[in-house]
Amino acid sequence: MQETLQTLVGGLSLGAVYALVAMGFSLVYRTMGLVNFAHADIAMIGAYAASTFYLTSKMPFVVAMVVAIVVTGAIGLVIERVLRPLENKDFDLMLIGTIGFGIVLQAVAILIWGTTGRAVPSPVRSAPLDVFGVRVRTYDLLVMAVAAFAVIGLAWFLARTKRGAAMQAVAMDHEAATAVGINVGRSNALAFSIGAGLAALAGGLVGPMLYVDASLGGALGIKGFAAAMLGGFGSIPGAVVGGLAIGVLDSYAAGHFQGYSVLVTFLVFTAAIMIRPMGVFGERTVSRA
Amino acid sequence: MTRNPAHPRLTLAITAALATALGACSAPGESGSESKSTSGPIKIAVVNAQSGQLSSLGDWEYKGAKLAVDEWNKKGGVNGRKIELKLFDDQGDPTTGTNIARKLDSQGYIAMIGTAESAVTIAMAPVLQQAEIPNITSGQSDKLVAQKSPFLFLNGPTSTTYDTTLAKYLIEDKQHKNIAMITNNGSFGKGEHDAFLKAAKDLGVTPSTDQIVTTDQKDFSSALTKIRAEKPEVIFIGSEEVEAGLIVKQARDLGITAPFAGAAPQGTPVFMDTAGKAAVEGTIVSSPYLSNDVSPAAKKFADAYQAAYKEEAEMHGAKAYDGANILLTALDTSKGATGKKLADAIRATRHDGLLGDFAYDETGVGITQTAIGVIRDGKLVAEQ
Repeated sequence: MQETLQTLVGGLSLGAVYALVAMGFSLVYRTMGLVNFAHADIAMIGAYAASTFYLTSKMPFVVAMVVAIVVTGAIGLVIERVLRPLENKDFDLMLIGTIGFGIVLQAVAILIWGTTGRAVPSPVRSAPLDVFGVRVRTYDLLVMAVAAFAVIGLAWFLARTKRGAAMQAVAMDHEAATAVGINVGRSNALAFSIGAGLAALAGGLVGPMLYVDASLGGALGIKGFAAAMLGGFGSIPGAVVGGLAIGVLDSYAAGHFQGYSVLVTFLVFTAAIMIRPMGVFGERTVSRA
Repeated sequence: MTRNPAHPRLTLAITAALATALGACSAPGESGSESKSTSGPIKIAVVNAQSGQLSSLGDWEYKGAKLAVDEWNKKGGVNGRKIELKLFDDQGDPTTGTNIARKLDSQGYIAMIGTAESAVTIAMAPVLQQAEIPNITSGQSDKLVAQKSPFLFLNGPTSTTYDTTLAKYLIEDKQHKNIAMITNNGSFGKGEHDAFLKAAKDLGVTPSTDQIVTTDQKDFSSALTKIRAEKPEVIFIGSEEVEAGLIVKQARDLGITAPFAGAAPQGTPVFMDTAGKAAVEGTIVSSPYLSNDVSPAAKKFADAYQAAYKEEAEMHGAKAYDGANILLTALDTSKGATGKKLADAIRATRHDGLLGDFAYDETGVGITQTAIGVIRDGKLVAEQ
């Protein structure tokens, strides 16, 4: 029982990070119909940026995170600007463009920060809480709380603000949106930079939990992408459910199948996708290509 | 988009294979393959991960090897010829490694230093054996010895040596009965698992729990909770630097206070940084190179390393330094021989290195002892 609960706690805290990654994937996808393959590497850049501002520039962790999000959001804007001429023209090229940007970002990270990577000490110094024998790290609680705020904030933005509504409109029909005077380009740019900001949030938060190096994107990206698929690509609540589900599934698989856990995790994932190809919350398959 | 399916690796492999095949019948003067020239600089390759989670290993290895080569070049090179060191990035990936092995052959490299990843070295071994390119690896898996390649040499002890020494210390000296194990299922972790398990059983102790994790796992709650339930006196860990650091960090968060014990990776700064200084206190390490203070030669090496790279030397750099020195000594004594002659010269080389006295036998292992160290105050010190 204790082991089951402890595994759940471990899975949920990483799951919250996967959920943030999945949300970024989904936001860009629902707005532009594009899978941003550079997303995970943007998260890696975010992790490096946050750790640099935190460790080297000695900023408080919160400030370092905010600066990292802004910097990374700006990178998102640049990527969108470069890809904009292809928007609604050649979709394959745009996809490949994002893959290319991912490789470029990895190379840039190695150029700036070197190959060895770095460990980030936890900004929360207090000892783990002991709840009936289950140890809960205070930092993990913080991560879950921040993730929850990000979800609520994003949902509020999409549903309650004019810009958010405009983004929804572009997602539904970009030609009709243009006809009613919405600037599709600006809307896409906004989606891209918010997506990049979410990636930086995920990367910055995961830094003290894991180890920051140029391959961090690979670790986050595959699970985050799977989470977005599982929840329903393009759905924000789906991304959250998918992220937590992948995190917990991964932890339990590790406990029961040991060395074969990755195999089991993705077999379960494959089965779930076969039964429900549109994911848990996906209602329709968006086709913009 | 998929009109022309690109298989760069396959294409590369075919090109390399063709180049090798054509090399035999190419016209003289062509800068073709196989022609290992006897004038000009001697080309030696360093193959190591420069990207990915194992890149810190690759970085140290290259620095250690480069230091040795620079010293030889300063003295005028080998046999009047300069040594040219070129770095290849294998990304810690066996497939990339095999492609590089073919490239080394076609581009006329006479020897290879690296890799630090046993799985990559094992994948490269058959190609290098066929091409008769001697390889001094930093891997330590017993599977390297099982390759039985006369061109493959280790610059350190095998997992069996590391773990037999460790098991003897834990079971005979410290009288531990309740030992837990956590290892990963990669090439290194599997080697450590098998070697330690056998050594412990030979001494009459069966580990109370034997947890296997994957190489890219991030959450170890489940395995660690099972270990915690066994209340072990010591936990054997068989995993690379970063993952081992994460495991130890999470173990401390879960309230496990027992010390960890492991081999080479547990003595590195990356392991200590990842886990945190408090978490690694008391970690028991089996290593052939405990610190830069073990001998005057080690001090001299550490000073030169510090001067060249502005960072503290550690075991992997020292191993690569020893390996490169052995290779260069063999080149010197054999008057710049290549292929089988060079391999024989390496085997005949007796080298008093940083890790100890190297004397190779037919298995390609030159050194068969390690010492026990303990991490105190963030530094690895010899256990008295």
